[in-house]
Order: sequence, then structure tokens, then C-alpha cells
Amino acid sequence: MGWLRDIGAFVEERTSLGTATALFLDTRSPSGAWLSRLLASAIAACVAVLALTGVVLMMAYSPSPQSAWASVHYIEFVLAHGWILRGLHFWAAQALFVLAALAILHGALVAAYRAPRELGWWLTLVVLGLTLAEMITGGLLPWDQRGWWGRVVEANIIGMAPVVGGWIGRMISGGAELGALGLARAYTAHVVLLPLPLVLALWGQRAMARRYGWAPGADSKSAPHIRLLGTSALVGAIVICALFAVTGWARHAPLEAPADPMSDYPARPEWFLMTLYRLRKYFHGSMEFWGTTTLPGVAAGYFVLLPWIERRLSRVVAILGALAIFGGAGALGVLAFRHDAADAQYVKSHAKWEKQAAAAIEIAKAGVPPEGALVMERRDPELRGRDLFERQCAACHVLGDLGDPKKASASRLDGWGTAAWIDAMMHDPDAPEFFGRGPYAEQMPSVDTPPKKPLPPGDVWVAMVKNVGERKAVSLFLAAEGDEPFDPPQAPLAPKVRADAEKIVSERCTTCHLYKGDGDDEGSGLAPELSRYGSLEWTRMQIADPSSPAVYRSKALDPKMKKHMPRFDKDLSASDIDILARYVHKHGRTSSL
Amino acid sequence: MSDDVNKSRRGALRVLVTGGVVGCGALAIPTVRFLVAPAMGGGGAGRWVKTLPFDALNEGEPKRVALIADHHDAWTLEKQVELGAAWLERRGTQVVAWSTVCPHLGCAVDRSPTGPGFYCPCHDSYFDREGGRLNGPSPRGLDTLAVRIEDGFVHVEFQRFRQGTPAKEPVG
Repeated sequence: MGWLRDIGAFVEERTSLGTATALFLDTRSPSGAWLSRLLASAIAACVAVLALTGVVLMMAYSPSPQSAWASVHYIEFVLAHGWILRGLHFWAAQALFVLAALAILHGALVAAYRAPRELGWWLTLVVLGLTLAEMITGGLLPWDQRGWWGRVVEANIIGMAPVVGGWIGRMISGGAELGALGLARAYTAHVVLLPLPLVLALWGQRAMARRYGWAPGADSKSAPHIRLLGTSALVGAIVICALFAVTGWARHAPLEAPADPMSDYPARPEWFLMTLYRLRKYFHGSMEFWGTTTLPGVAAGYFVLLPWIERRLSRVVAILGALAIFGGAGALGVLAFRHDAADAQYVKSHAKWEKQAAAAIEIAKAGVPPEGALVMERRDPELRGRDLFERQCAACHVLGDLGDPKKASASRLDGWGTAAWIDAMMHDPDAPEFFGRGPYAEQMPSVDTPPKKPLPPGDVWVAMVKNVGERKAVSLFLAAEGDEPFDPPQAPLAPKVRADAEKIVSERCTTCHLYKGDGDDEGSGLAPELSRYGSLEWTRMQIADPSSPAVYRSKALDPKMKKHMPRFDKDLSASDIDILARYVHKHGRTSSL
Repeated sequence: MSDDVNKSRRGALRVLVTGGVVGCGALAIPTVRFLVAPAMGGGGAGRWVKTLPFDALNEGEPKRVALIADHHDAWTLEKQVELGAAWLERRGTQVVAWSTVCPHLGCAVDRSPTGPGFYCPCHDSYFDREGGRLNGPSPRGLDTLAVRIEDGFVHVEFQRFRQGTPAKEPVG
């Protein structure tokens, strides 16, 4: 190993690099203010972790609206140990923010701002500001719902500033709308423009502390000095262990569904901006911009001016002011979270988007198309089908967790197309889960229960099925009518039973219904065609145009039938109708009432 | 060394420094223009987008309709994508259109869960059935969009407005 030492000596003799490094790392600093020293070491450790993991993450990240989400997904879920690196980066950032804020609070309490340490104190404030900017720019990089909507709102808040506001907002977004240039700008700021001054600020702070000590009380020349390397290394090791532990416990750093400018996402800012979010509640109209920028500005100014505030007023005022600002900010943040937790509408919407994120993450594991993750979502029959059902059908129908059973005016589609659903419906068509609450109430009689209203004189009620066995056979027969080759097989139907059931359908049901185009002896024009009932083709037709003769027929769109099922072929493309039909067909058959 | 030599050296230095400053200044011009160009362009005209057939709208029932057209974003051109959306409502032979972009800070406005009007889930701004401001932080009512009916189809002028101001100023 002698040669190593030789190389070291060679470099040292010509550059003094070793001595300079030792001087910087293993500084002899006035002792005292141990908490300040620990915070500074922990902050340095977080920054080191962020820089290392950040550079590694850059090697797999792609800053473009089409690929950003996909590349972050790839880092998080596909690349070996990507989730650890991204997790460390994420948690180190949260830790850095908390530590930088604590350093300010602690500095205010121990009067670390007092002359001659003002420069070091202001650098402490700069570190928090740059950390905030790093987190805000970093939050956009995954190009997910939270990041995108958060930035849109933030750019609009800046846009409210008089005169130059709109221009600054457009500079940040890279144009009138947040797009490719906005992402490239945020990325450049995040990896180059902000980290450099952040590291410089930390270095300057440390240089000031070496000269004057971290806080008053340990600044005299005679005060004992201690060497910093040992404690710094120990604190660094503890911080890194803690970051690993949190990353392992959390498993995955947050990644929401891909940014969708067309969605109804309930935007919320990052957790550390919830205080400002809450502040907006108290300032409306023209006061809004001033209220929500002036107050935080005054708070920041207070800390900048602390050296003079203490000299002019008193130490007690300085401390109380700092405590009030931190306490107020914390309280507002807590209020904001509690308000959201108690807001049923928000909780529901939030749960919906969590589900969407989980689904998008699963689909993306098979690969994301070059047009981007949003196109991937739009093409996925399951997600698109769900989205279409929610927007177009759920106001009246219920299927799974979509639609409101209390408000539904049309039939419940859980189990639709199965023998059990058809059987229950034939027995009691006016039950609330079938037609009872909609315009089709009292249109279909029960097949085996006499009507409650007295019949016109002379009419005799005859059951359409003789017994439960016949009813079940008809249900099985009709369920099989809707079967597609890819459906899970239903209970097999014996040829004899099938023939009998078909006879009942074609002879008795056709008083009102059509079967293979024949029937409707009374000319009601309303009861649907039963052949292929519930099949994909039938479902597509029913969605496209219920008044088509192959489904509910001419009277289905009668304006007198208030809230009747509308036709969708004017609103939706053929491919969307197909996706919706497949969604309803599949989810009906794989669920039950 | 003589004063003349010193003087000429000082002169040369001055020329060099001036040249350097001018050079840096020259470098700044394309840099600044490069960075600022995308943020230029304030008020702009809207784009007319063809939407649904007129019969697809029901009287007294606002419908959220996607506005589909080509979308430019820096170097990308997407053909026929959703640029935005509008709430369309039939009023006799006319159609009223409201932008779904909240005039407050730009979130997507939805039908109100509690009343007949609209609301924004981000900062709880409520609007009445005519898009007028009810309560919450929005500084103005929902932005109406120009509509014309041609060949039985509803055409809407897609347009963004500045957020957070009491006046409706077009942008983009």
C-alpha cells in the first residue's frame, strides 16, 4: 500500500488538497450550540444523499410530457433497486425541509442571528427557500396528477400578481399552458440552477460558523474548540440509516396517475404548502393575492430582520414572534388537513384517484406506448370503460362502486346478464334495483306474482310460468342468450330444458317482447328484443340507440317516459360505445346483486 | 518602464475589457430572447371547435362536452385531442356554453354536489345555475364561451381567460 501513500504525498505536495479538505471537514469550531451543529451535519448529510441519488436518477429519467411519468414508473417499479434510490431521494427531501425549518426555529431561539453572525443566519433562510424551490420543481417531474395540477394552480397564483404576474406565470409554465417547455424548465432548475446555490449557501454557512461559532455563548477565542469530523460522520451515518428505514417502511415514494388536464382532479399542493392553501380560505376576491403573499412575505421578512428586531425591541419579542409564526403555520397546516379529512366529497374523489393511480401503475408494467401514459390510460378498455361509465351511466345506473344506489333511477347492473339477475327481475320487475324507480316502472308484470292493482273487469291473471322450475329455466336460457365465447361458462343447460324454455319465451313472453324479430302481439313497441339479450351486440345497440328494433324499440325514446335511457351514438364514438358495452357486459356478469 | 508603454498597455486592456463586456452582452441577447419567447403573446383569439349535434343536448340539462381539436405543445402536434371542455346547455334554439376552467385558479369545475349549479373542488367556489358567482374565492362567475350553430352542429369558441381577476381577460 506504500504506493498509494506515495501518490497521496505527490498530490498533497503540489496542491495541499488533503490539508484543505481536512480543514473544511474536520474544522475546529468553538464548542457549544451542539444542536446547531447536529442540525447542520444532518442537513449536509441529506444534501449529500440527494445529490448522489439525484444524479443516479437522472440517468433513467426523461423530462418530456410523453415520457416523464413512464420513466418515473420505470425507475420505481421496473429498474432493479430503483424504488430504493427514488425513495431515498424523496425522503431525504422531506427530511431536508423539516431540518432546514428546524434550523431556523432553533437559530431564532438561541439568537444565532446576532452580530456578527447575520450573514450565516441569512444563509440559513436561503437554504430553506432553495429547499422549498427544489421540492416544488421536483414535484412536477413525475408529471402526475398532483404535480401537474399543483403547478397549474401555483402558476395561476403567481399570475394574479399585478403587472408582471401573468408574464412570470408564463415564464414558469413555458407558455400559456403548462407543457413540454414548462417541464424542461422545472427540470433544469431542479438539477442545475437550484442545487448549485444551495450547496454554496451551505458552504458559506459553515465557513461563517467556523469563524464565529454557530451561536452566541461559544464565540470567545478562549472557549474550548472541538473537531467536527467525528460528530458529522456519526450524524451522517444516523441520517442515512433513518432514510433507509423510512424508505423500506414506505416501500414506494408517491406516484399518482399520469397528469390529465381534462380530469376532475381535486388539486391540493404539497403537504408543506397546505398552510398557504389554508390561508387562501380567509382572503377572497382582490384581497386573495395580497393576503396569501403578503402574510408569508411578512413572516419571511421577520426572520430576515431578526438581528434588528432584537436590538430595537427585545430578545423576548424576537423569540415570541418566531414561535408565533411557526405555531401559526403549523396550526393552519393541521386545519387544512382536518378540513379535507372531514370533506366527504374530497375523500371520495381522492379515493377514486388513488384507485386510478394503482390501475395505471399496473397497466404500465406491460410497457407504455410512445405517445405517453395518458394515451395508455385512454386505450385501456378497463380504465376507459370505467371512466365512460362514471361520466355517462352512473347518474342513473349502479355498477360496482359506481353510481349511487340511493339516487339510481335505472336498473342496477351488478349481475346483469346472469341467470340470478334475470330470475330476480322476472319475479319482481318493480323492485327498486330493477325498474321500480324509473320510467319503466309498472311496464313489465311479474311472471309469477299477481299484480297489486286490480285488473280491469273480465281480465283473468295467468302466471307466465307454472312454477319456480320454469322460471329458473327461462332465466338460464336468457342468460345463455347473452353469452359470448370469451365469457366464463355458466351452468350448462340440458337440451330438453333449453327447448322448453325457448318455447315459453317465444310463445308467452312475445305478448309484449320480441324474440328473433317476432312478437309484440299488443303492439306496445317498448318491451325489448330477447334474442341475444345481454350479448355484446345487444348492449352496444342499447347504448347507441335504445329505440333500435334489436333492443328496446320505438317507444324507448318517448319523451313522455321521463328520464328514459338516452341514445349515446351522437355523443360517443363507436369505439367508446364498444368499450362501454364490454365494460358493462364483463362487470355485470362477474358480479352479483 | 516608460509612461507611454504603461499608457498603451492600459489602453489595450481597456479595449479588451470593453470587448469582453460587449461580447457578454451580445451573448445575453439570444439567451434572453430564447428564454422569454415562449412567455410572449398575451391576449389571443379563440379557436372555433365543432362539438355535438344540436339534438344531442337536452333542454335545461347542462352537459359536459369535450372540445376536440389539434393541440400544439412546443415541438409536438397531437391530432384531434381534448383541448378542454365546456358545459353546454340548450335554451330553446340557442345554446349556452361555460368553460370548465375555474376562473379562480384553473381547476376543473363540476356540477355542484349540494345544489343545482356548479362548484370547483379545489377551493370550494360555488356558482349558480347561470354560472354566476355564489360563494367561495372565485373573483367572477364562470366564463361563458361564444357559441354558433352550423349545419345542426354546435360550434364553441375555445378560449382561455386570465385566472384570479374580477375581469374576464382572454389569454393564450
